[in-house]
Amino acid sequence: MTQLDKALEVKGLTKKYGDFYAVNNMSFHVEPGEIFGLLGPNGAGKTTIISNIVTLETPTEGDVLVFGHNVQEEPRKAKSLTGIVPQEIVNHGFFNLEEVLIFHSGYYGLSNNRDRIDFLIDRLGLKEHRHKKVKQLSGGMKRRLLIAKALVHSPKLLLLDEPTAGVDIELRESLWKFVQELRSDGVSVLLTTHYLEEAEELCDRVGIIHHGELRKIGPTNSLVKEFTQRNVSLKLKTAAKVESQFLIEQLQENLRFRIPSEMGLGELLHSAHLSLDDIDDMQIVEGNLEEAFLRVLGESKA
Amino acid sequence: MNKNLKWTPFMMLYWREVRRFSRVAVQTLLAPAVNTTLYLLIFGVSIGRAIKMEEGITYLGFLIPGLIMMGCLNNAFSNASSSVAGSKSAGELEDYKSSPLSSQQIIWALSAGGVSRGLLVSVVTMVVGELFYLNQHGEFLPINNVFLLFYFLLVGGFAFGMMGLSAAIWARSFDHLSAVGNFVLLPLIYLGGVFYSIDNLPGFWQKVSLANPLLYLINGVRYAILGVSDVSLGVSVLVTLIMLLVFLSISVWSLARGSFHRW
Ligand SMILES: Nc1ncnc2c1ncn2[C@@H]1O[C@H](COP(=O)(O)OP(=O)(O)OP(=O)(O)O)[C@@H](O)[C@H]1O
Ligand SMILES: [Mg+2]
Repeated sequence: MTQLDKALEVKGLTKKYGDFYAVNNMSFHVEPGEIFGLLGPNGAGKTTIISNIVTLETPTEGDVLVFGHNVQEEPRKAKSLTGIVPQEIVNHGFFNLEEVLIFHSGYYGLSNNRDRIDFLIDRLGLKEHRHKKVKQLSGGMKRRLLIAKALVHSPKLLLLDEPTAGVDIELRESLWKFVQELRSDGVSVLLTTHYLEEAEELCDRVGIIHHGELRKIGPTNSLVKEFTQRNVSLKLKTAAKVESQFLIEQLQENLRFRIPSEMGLGELLHSAHLSLDDIDDMQIVEGNLEEAFLRVLGESKA
Repeated sequence: MNKNLKWTPFMMLYWREVRRFSRVAVQTLLAPAVNTTLYLLIFGVSIGRAIKMEEGITYLGFLIPGLIMMGCLNNAFSNASSSVAGSKSAGELEDYKSSPLSSQQIIWALSAGGVSRGLLVSVVTMVVGELFYLNQHGEFLPINNVFLLFYFLLVGGFAFGMMGLSAAIWARSFDHLSAVGNFVLLPLIYLGGVFYSIDNLPGFWQKVSLANPLLYLINGVRYAILGVSDVSLGVSVLVTLIMLLVFLSISVWSLARGSFHRW
């Protein structure tokens, strides 16, 4: 592991099931200390990519490197550095929560990991459940346990496959706070989620994938800028006929404009031959990631 | 916090296996005790009286080593296979694969778990058997060679643990797996000479029996306890060792090619 190594590098990854391309020639990377969001509709290939990172699947073609270690050639080095929260709940019929964490630490080579386990149990609000059998936990609790498991060995790369599916708002918020905390400790994060609002708030960069192909990748805010427009609603003091290429609706004194995300309000007023004095009230709605996401998918369908 | 990728993952997985079967102590120990009692009662005591054996050996004495080995093999197989099957249905097996656990660690830890349970069952079987023997013959059945006894139990147990692991890796459901137990394992064990000496079989079936590797395990244990066997000791040692290597290779191949995915 050198200073220059990316936390994760996916190079020309292809995964075929029979003739079906679940992932098709995908390349992207995650910088150290970055939160990267992998977004895409159901079946886009997100989980398949994650499975290839932790060697649950073997690439049909291409390479995956974790901090410079090829996961196929040096699997144990790569996997020691990686923590994964799988999309699906894992049950551990025979064991209680604490035992599961002790065993899991062991798989990562840690025989005496009590401090870390105590910290995680505490931090994830699992204290009063620590002696419960896993099957006695609620769905949300089981998901917290998955997160604790992923972190027992203090991984440098954390893979979160829809960690907030079926989780209540409170836990979702505390979970994302925890993720940000981990990032500030230097952990790099790859996450998938269908809650785009959360992704927008959290991710430094996102990649949008569809049918196994990368459609768009970039810093979250520049994607939003590039693929969304601003919605401007104006209420005039008196109804008047307005001409503008950006006007999309007029109901007497109520006007709605859609303008490019980099266009300022002054410019709009100027182009529509309006002045501030004509205006009674106004509202601006900025574009968001969800809009950008839909635009990217829409374009790629066309 | 001490980190050791060489031994800790193996030790922890082995410990998990031991904890797992100790949670089901009744199945683990009581069931084989009951089984053995039934076998000894039906075959060893009642039917066995009518069976003629070599000089100095009673049918009860002949049966006990076979039952010890059978209990060990059955339990080593079923412990490893049910562990993998359970982990598959829970999704836990994916944890093994996404962690730094190596194939060798998984193989040896799971088969060692199977062996541990197999040995416990052997001890239970032995105790029950000795009590029967004492009751019938007024003395304990002496053990000819303890070292050889351990050798055959360990080699057989590891081989069958590996076999159980491999079977469960390839199985597509619990039913699939129990079919392997019923249609492959059980016949091999019964035809391996637990209940009879192959000397009593017609020539053709004797030859067929010689192709069954379990014959050598069962006769190995019989030699270790009674000092008699249908096949020579050297052959038994060699064949069982080869069998272990074969099953080790099969399990390495299974973990590399088979499925860790959920059912
Ligand atoms: N073992 C498999 N055999 C055949 N096809 C598979 C297999 N695993 C996944 N696929 C297919 O690959 C595609 C990608 O699946 P994947 O689970 O990666 O999607 P995803 O982006 O994670 O979706 P979701 O948001 O629903 O979790 C899907 O069309 C899926 O049906
Ligand atoms: Mg998925």
